[in-house]
Amino acid sequence: MPASAQGPQAVEALYARLLGKGTVSYAPAIDRDAARTRIAADGLPVARAEAWKYSNVGKWYQAALEPVQAPGVRETCVPGGVDLHRFDDPAAAPLLTKHLGTAIDLARHPLAAVNRILLGSGVVVRVPAGCRIDEPVNVDDIGAAYEHILLIVEPGAELALVETPIAATHRVVECIVAEGARLTHRRVQPRGQAPQCGLIAAKVEQQAHYSLWLAARGTELRRNDIHIALAGRGAETHLHGAWRLGEREHLDNQVTVDHLAPDCLSRQTFRGVVGGRARAVLNGRIHIAAGAQASDASLTTKSLLESTDAEVYAKPELEIYANDVRCSHGATVGALDEAMLFYCESRGIDRDAARGLLLRGFLREAIVGEEAIGVLAAGFSGADGSLGATLAGDVASAGGEVQ
Amino acid sequence: MPLLDIEDLHVQVEDQVILGGVHLTVAPGEVHAVMGPNGSGKSTLANVVAGRPGYEVLRGTVRLAGEDITHASPEERALLGLFLAFQYPIEIPGVSNMEFLKAAIDSHALARGEGAPSAAAFIRRARATAERLGLDAGFLKRGVNEGFSGGEKKRNEILQMLLLEPRIAILDETDSGLDVDAMQVVAAGVNDFRDNGNAVVLVTHYQRLLDYIVPDHVHVLAGGNIIRSGDRSLAQTLDRDGYGWIEDAC
Repeated sequence: MPASAQGPQAVEALYARLLGKGTVSYAPAIDRDAARTRIAADGLPVARAEAWKYSNVGKWYQAALEPVQAPGVRETCVPGGVDLHRFDDPAAAPLLTKHLGTAIDLARHPLAAVNRILLGSGVVVRVPAGCRIDEPVNVDDIGAAYEHILLIVEPGAELALVETPIAATHRVVECIVAEGARLTHRRVQPRGQAPQCGLIAAKVEQQAHYSLWLAARGTELRRNDIHIALAGRGAETHLHGAWRLGEREHLDNQVTVDHLAPDCLSRQTFRGVVGGRARAVLNGRIHIAAGAQASDASLTTKSLLESTDAEVYAKPELEIYANDVRCSHGATVGALDEAMLFYCESRGIDRDAARGLLLRGFLREAIVGEEAIGVLAAGFSGADGSLGATLAGDVASAGGEVQ
Repeated sequence: MPLLDIEDLHVQVEDQVILGGVHLTVAPGEVHAVMGPNGSGKSTLANVVAGRPGYEVLRGTVRLAGEDITHASPEERALLGLFLAFQYPIEIPGVSNMEFLKAAIDSHALARGEGAPSAAAFIRRARATAERLGLDAGFLKRGVNEGFSGGEKKRNEILQMLLLEPRIAILDETDSGLDVDAMQVVAAGVNDFRDNGNAVVLVTHYQRLLDYIVPDHVHVLAGGNIIRSGDRSLAQTLDRDGYGWIEDAC
């Protein structure tokens, strides 16, 4: 492998690494060959591909070859009643055989195939049927550049997951939410340096419920693929995202909600504040399959631009093959409202504090509820704290430009 | 020393001169009413005194308790004791009335060199004041003016005034859109607020508010100037005769 592979060389080197056997010593009961076959057949995404038009995948390939050294395992707080196994634990094998990859279409998510081939660490979390877990499971770093968290929430069970993929070059979070189960997923993404991509894939069965709360800063290149399949009748998903970017931060959220069964409901609410020379992308696709009658889907995304050099790309997509559906989408991009600022100032609130107050109000349209705000805000600290401060209500430090 | 002293104020908005040399002096303890037909410059006067962007002062000065605030920021004016009750209060989605009020009150406390009041003390006071205005406790948790009825918005302005305790309050058409019951509540709030140390300027089109808040002085603004000043009876004359005679006089 070249020490500093660039452009086509990086891609060649990555292919060689992916398709050569035996490069990874980690040996859980997973099938890497299916992923190799997929990469061999379809190839890696190219920079000019439509799905990659906003994020230069070439940068990620360079990082993928020389991943950041992940710190040791820091998974924490596993409440009683939850089974947690590392992938290479023999107890994990039957769960992996049965569930791993069942929520992921590798043809649509080629980087998840890369993840599978290079996988260095994984944990499987299982909540037994009917078991309601009040304490959240926390998963931060699990010790590798390529990680897979597999959650299995069995019928009627309930779980909350809090995860912070700090050092992962690529993390897959795969959620199997069985009939009547509920999963609340909170993701905190502090600011980072290295390019980072990842996939959140959820398969939500009949009458089950999956909700995502995402609070994110950017990195040089950060992409979140989020793919929710409403697979059983009456399944429901609520996706909430808030981000605040500055300088040259980059955050690309590619969201797909598949309505595959009748009577399903999906709600997507995203709010972003983008300053400096940062770039934020929200591509939100709602796909209603033939036969998914009485689907109810909506997506709203609003962005505030804090500088003339900031970029926001907001692209809702609807693809509907059923004839009895309710679907709506809305996207706006604007600046902070001068009338609102004047109103605050006329009450003696200085301009920076007023901006903090207004930004918080704006982001809280997506992140509602004290619990969600508390969990997400706590994930940001120090110089990285402006998003946390904005969410939590520390208006004194929230108003300034993101550093 | 007057609390508010407006001297020869000329104001332009988007190349159009709206005020052409307004003089107005308001002493402590006084209530002034500024009346006039639509388009006479009443709201411009209220907004320019509060420092709203978009108004260009061509000439003249505005002093608050002797301090020249003609070019001060809206926040500086507020902290010096000026309050504008908006004709159209602004909605701020996602920010609760409570946190908005707390931020405002904390700024005022800080400007006076005091510590911010405790959350508990603040909440007690805000609730009691809201109750006086017929607003229930849930009102404070709602987004600022978000989904409020016209009457609730106006009462919310008075709530802010009572909590911020300004030296001079300018009420811009606070009576518009209010039914008689709401107007009485608002008027009671303003009358409670009045004392010998502060002053109120009521900007209004109709004299009916003045049945509840009795002014010491009434001014008629027309064509960008105060063309007549008098006592309460001037308002009654206007109510009886309308503004037609003024337009003839201009």
